[in-house]
Amino acid sequence: MPAVSTAAPAAFPGFAAPLTLAAIDVAVTYPNGLTALRDASFRLEGGTICALVGVNGSGKSTLFKALMGFVTPSRGRVEIDGRPVREAQKQSWVAYVPQAEEVDWTFPVSVRDVVMMGRYGYMNFLRLPRAADRAAVEESLRRLGMWDFRDRQIGELSGGQKKRVFVARALAQQGRVILLDEPFTGVDVKTEEALVTLLRELRDEGRLILVATHNLGSVPEFCDQVVLINRTVLAYGPTAQVFTAANLTRAFGGALRLFDLDRSTVNDHDGRQVTVLTDDERPLVLGKSGHLEYLDRTGREQLISDRENEQEKK
Amino acid sequence: MPWLTPFQYDYMVTAMWTSALIGGVCGLLSGFVTLKGWSLMGDALSHAVVPGVALAYMAGLPFAVGAFISGLLAAGAMAFVKIKTPVREDAVIGIVFTTFFAAGLLLISVFPSGVNLKSIIFGNILGIAAEDVLQVVIVSALCLLVLALKWRDLMLFCFDANQARALGLRVGALHVVLLLLLSATAVAALQAVGAMLVVAMLVTPGATAYLLTDRFGVMLVIGGVLGAVTSFVGAYASYFFDGATGGCIVTLQTLVFLVVLFFAPKHGVLAGRRTLRRALAREAAP
Repeated sequence: MPAVSTAAPAAFPGFAAPLTLAAIDVAVTYPNGLTALRDASFRLEGGTICALVGVNGSGKSTLFKALMGFVTPSRGRVEIDGRPVREAQKQSWVAYVPQAEEVDWTFPVSVRDVVMMGRYGYMNFLRLPRAADRAAVEESLRRLGMWDFRDRQIGELSGGQKKRVFVARALAQQGRVILLDEPFTGVDVKTEEALVTLLRELRDEGRLILVATHNLGSVPEFCDQVVLINRTVLAYGPTAQVFTAANLTRAFGGALRLFDLDRSTVNDHDGRQVTVLTDDERPLVLGKSGHLEYLDRTGREQLISDRENEQEKK
Repeated sequence: MPWLTPFQYDYMVTAMWTSALIGGVCGLLSGFVTLKGWSLMGDALSHAVVPGVALAYMAGLPFAVGAFISGLLAAGAMAFVKIKTPVREDAVIGIVFTTFFAAGLLLISVFPSGVNLKSIIFGNILGIAAEDVLQVVIVSALCLLVLALKWRDLMLFCFDANQARALGLRVGALHVVLLLLLSATAVAALQAVGAMLVVAMLVTPGATAYLLTDRFGVMLVIGGVLGAVTSFVGAYASYFFDGATGGCIVTLQTLVFLVVLFFAPKHGVLAGRRTLRRALAREAAP
């Protein structure tokens, strides 16, 4: 349908302008007196995929909620493009992909209905969808390969398909900051790969992708930056700099299992060690000089040849 | 023709169309109530309006005003206890609405005035006064207007409040709007079926409609039509049974629900068995 492809650019105007997301001394204290987060500060620019990493109870989801404007910080503030979150919300800039457990899958809505919910900010008082809204919904569903499922009730989908529906909603919303909460939980490998590819495309379009996860192993695979959380922001910056064994031990403490492969029988004993950090999901592997090991090597050819040179020199 | 007899009496005609109007509004709203999990809340509000009705009659005010204020006070009290204590929500609702209901009973028994306890608890649509009809019409019209304008926002609030928040919608306001609608319809339904049975009007049509469709908009329409038709027919039938209108309406709604429960094309019990049998047959096939 050519009408769709010509309508699509009009439906996505000016999304290339990246914006900034900044947390400034954010503290959140709940009414029960628990301070979940204090002095949390970091700053991110659009065009990046950033992981928000921390154990359960580290204040990770509190920070997430503060960034979304779901909780108001008791101190400090969150700014999107230099403005309060509330203003960014009204521009439909902030898109949210919830965890599967948060969604009522028995609710009588179709896939298309859910994606249309991303368009409310562009509709008038009555929320009557217009041609541009329908075009944006179709475009997003096609991009996620879910157009053929548009009339399904959302509970009649597989775990991976369910996740795609909500990512499609974030796309239809034209969110410039997209926050995904544990996006790979309960998702098949094929969908995970497709999602990572899509997130990279969205990053290249200038969007800011923020992924809350406790799944350490997948972080170096696709995240450019990391914000490490344990009651506050412990460290943030490029993944390779932040994801060190020392930082992760500080962030995860006893929650991690640390395999010292140097003492294993399969390793040649040259005085250096391979470290595997795992919280029982996909493990994080640090090489002998403490560098990150990657499964997916595309785009990292330079890194690999560097390491090979290093090997030959020895 | 004996089955047309009810239409010869003005009070029957009034009872039938007023019931249909109330039933329709309650049926529409029941879609939200069942999906938001507010059934118990509906029950609570319908009982909590009783002291307001008693006081309004004593003060010579429109009953709807007193009932409405009473309902809101109850909702506020529930919210307060829930926030300030770790007591679970169902217990909070149980405490607050019984307190209000008891206060209403006490008021009516200690200060007997024009208000009849029986008509509050069991409804008295056959004897409804003209000014009460007017109040019901106004309340229903307001609810219909709000639902027509804002049902999509309320749907988003029920389905995914976080998305509503992320889009900058006022979730707190939507919550209050839905609560106001619930109180208003509970007040109106009090006239038709009485405090005891209001919750049926606010739940059964929606639950029935839920079994018949996978689209929220369609569910609302089915719920509204079911509510209106069952209330009309129930009021009509009550003439022949010489029975309580509320009992007739709610029994009829339950009968419809039972039929749908078993025979609904996709979500019915029989359809479920059929699907299971087919799946097993496929497994068994070589």
